[in-house]
Amino acid sequence: MTAAAPAVRQTAALAWRSIITTIRLPQAWFPALFFPLVLMAIFTASFGGAPGAVPGFPPVRGFLDFAVCGAIVQGVLIGGTSAGAAFATDIEGGFFDRLVASPTSRVAILTGRLGASMALGLFQAVLFIAIAWIFGARVDGGITGFLVVLLIAVIFAAAVGGLGVYLALRTGSGEAVQGMFPLFFALLFFSSAFFPIETMTGWYAAVARVNPISWLVESMRLEIIGGATVGTTLIGIGTALALAAITIGASALALRRRLRVAA
Amino acid sequence: MRVVSVSLGLAGRNLLLVRRVPSVFIPSLVMPLFILIATAGAFHGIGALPQFAGESYLAFTIPMAAIMGAGFAGINSGMTLARDLEGGFFDRLQSSPAPRLALVLGPMLAAQARSILTTVVVFIAGMIGGVMLPGVGPTLLIFAFALLFAAAASFWAIGVALRSRTVQAAPIMQLVVFLSVFMSVAYVPLDAMHGWLGAVARYNPVTYILNAARSAELTGTVTWADTWPGLVSAVALLVVLGAFALNPLRHLENR
Amino acid sequence: METRDLVREFKGGIRAVDGVSLVVESGGIFGFLGPNGAGKSTTVRMLTTLLRPTSGTAMVAGHDVMADPGAVRRRIGVALQDAAIDPYMTGRELLRLQGVLHGLARAECRARAEDLLARVGLEDAADRRVGTYSGGMRRRLDLALSLVHEPVVLFLDEPTTGLDPTSRVALWEEVRRLNAEHGTTIFLTTQYLEEADQLADRVAIIDGGRIVADGAPAALKAEIGEPLLTVTAGDGSSPEDVAGVLSRFGPIVPGSAEGGAGVRLPGGSSAMADAVRALDDAGVRFQSIDLAEPTLDDVFLKCTGRHLEGAGDEVPAA
Repeated sequence: MTAAAPAVRQTAALAWRSIITTIRLPQAWFPALFFPLVLMAIFTASFGGAPGAVPGFPPVRGFLDFAVCGAIVQGVLIGGTSAGAAFATDIEGGFFDRLVASPTSRVAILTGRLGASMALGLFQAVLFIAIAWIFGARVDGGITGFLVVLLIAVIFAAAVGGLGVYLALRTGSGEAVQGMFPLFFALLFFSSAFFPIETMTGWYAAVARVNPISWLVESMRLEIIGGATVGTTLIGIGTALALAAITIGASALALRRRLRVAA
Repeated sequence: MRVVSVSLGLAGRNLLLVRRVPSVFIPSLVMPLFILIATAGAFHGIGALPQFAGESYLAFTIPMAAIMGAGFAGINSGMTLARDLEGGFFDRLQSSPAPRLALVLGPMLAAQARSILTTVVVFIAGMIGGVMLPGVGPTLLIFAFALLFAAAASFWAIGVALRSRTVQAAPIMQLVVFLSVFMSVAYVPLDAMHGWLGAVARYNPVTYILNAARSAELTGTVTWADTWPGLVSAVALLVVLGAFALNPLRHLENR
Repeated sequence: METRDLVREFKGGIRAVDGVSLVVESGGIFGFLGPNGAGKSTTVRMLTTLLRPTSGTAMVAGHDVMADPGAVRRRIGVALQDAAIDPYMTGRELLRLQGVLHGLARAECRARAEDLLARVGLEDAADRRVGTYSGGMRRRLDLALSLVHEPVVLFLDEPTTGLDPTSRVALWEEVRRLNAEHGTTIFLTTQYLEEADQLADRVAIIDGGRIVADGAPAALKAEIGEPLLTVTAGDGSSPEDVAGVLSRFGPIVPGSAEGGAGVRLPGGSSAMADAVRALDDAGVRFQSIDLAEPTLDDVFLKCTGRHLEGAGDEVPAA
């Protein structure tokens, strides 16, 4: 237990540092807030007539209620990519080496970065829901539903952050990590993040069905538009946890490999 | 005329870079393709709205993807210019007796050439998805709009490049083109829109370009009544953005 | 070429070029010498119509730089410091493009490109991307590019900075040949005094945005006068001791010898023997003693009180 305490403190310190440096650099946080919100606004205005008119569309108060969770997931993806790029910049710039050379716990290097990602993810989820609420959306699942959405968002943020860190450790280049973003964006679109999967057809629907992002978004969405069950909730949380376990595990291994080579 | 030959020479060089630096061009080729597939696939259900009158949503999306692709072909020219300015190659162009106009027209022509390619890709993807070419007239009209929009977008990006002199300005170039298309009738027709977007779209020149392209596509014929708003909008964009691009040329020596 | 009180001010009131007036005879090689940051590149950019002077006038090849830049551009060749090239194009492509920029007909572009490639010895590398060229190759290509339209005046901005000695000598040869065979006026900026000394018919030295000396190298050096004797103090003796003895022969030249002193000696080597004897008699020990003909560095020293940067590797060790 005494061995863990400094690691916890270091995690907090590194997380705080990541958060501060992110806030100070507009390019780091602006895209993660701007693009999801703009798309959410455009989609809501474009597809406002969909609920009720499009067969297969789930019953909702309004399209905005439907769209919030897609925006949250999009925001987390953008934020996670920026986090990975920032981590890579730390490696390029030497801050990483300085950390390694100091008595900082190895675990803290990773958990600090992840903690910052989770904090940003939490902020995005709360902000987007608040903005949607201002424009008339409501959370059907009440406080519990709201908390479930936050929980899934935060765990997913850790997962994406982990992926970003993994890429950073493997490529060592901020540009390379940013270059991955189009792939994530594609992944986001080939899911039910923005429109119900019941309205899709053909191979596109098949792809979206097996896309874990669909499971995440749908689970979160049901809390907001209504219809969530213990089962759907567990699917969402479970998917997020599984993704997080994979990416964080991979980045832990990558970290160890890099440290071994360096030492 | 010297302007023509120098412009062609510069356009040729610009296009050469397309082959040599695939990392720049491939994304601009993949992107409209992606937009077409993702939009038509994800929002396929919206085609059930009465305002679509039974038109295939894929067919509805094709002009938007073509225009978006043309926009990004235009941005590439601006990016190349920004790189030239940052790297010093532009000094060579500036200190030569090349007519200043050619320094802008060359990249513009290259953008237009690229936009032909991206539009072809979009049409082929559409055909694979089951939407045949809409007939000679409408097809040519869509290509024409792509050429005009590519030129306008290239003027925009070139103007930004000449003023900022850095490749860091790329996000600005991209954001404006993105928003100009997304804040028009990108996803649904004007009469299906709710709230603020309809108001914005009504003032957006891209709306009229897309409307003209789509009505030709849907009806299979090109009529003057349906087309002139789009043409006027495109020309207006060209004039305004052209001035934006050419203005800095006079003050190049002040930096 | 002629400039009058050329001034270029930048943001913050910094005058990179502060009243430069030059006259360059046609058909000669003009050296523009100065340390880094002296304003050489800025002046060249103004003369090549890339930058607008804040005030003053400049005529290049018979045309006013501000009133008729197009005419100037048609007559000048420019090889700038950063070898303004596109790394993704091949040498041949760049040469042809340059021809197009100058309005040459297509066939003529090709012919000139081949001709110049041969002249600078880049035929083998002509189809390789310029990004793969070595520093020396890039400079040669830059030179070729500046010659495509047979300019009347050629501007070379620090053409040998960063080159190895062999490439440097080769470039000097090419510059001389251009001047001799084609009568091209050459405006050469450099931070290397040896380069200015070797190549230029006339030299102007610039420091802090102003011209501090202007004339033929030989004339400028002759103005300095006699050879400089420098003595470095040895064990047990101080520079002041050395200066004390040498001052009998003439005024000490400040800053001319590190850890020692220097003085101008009329009478050359025989006077040197006198100096040695004087030092011996006074019991002053010295580590080294050297008699050097005046160099452009001495000219610079006299005008500004400082050594020319980059001259360090040209001046023989004391």
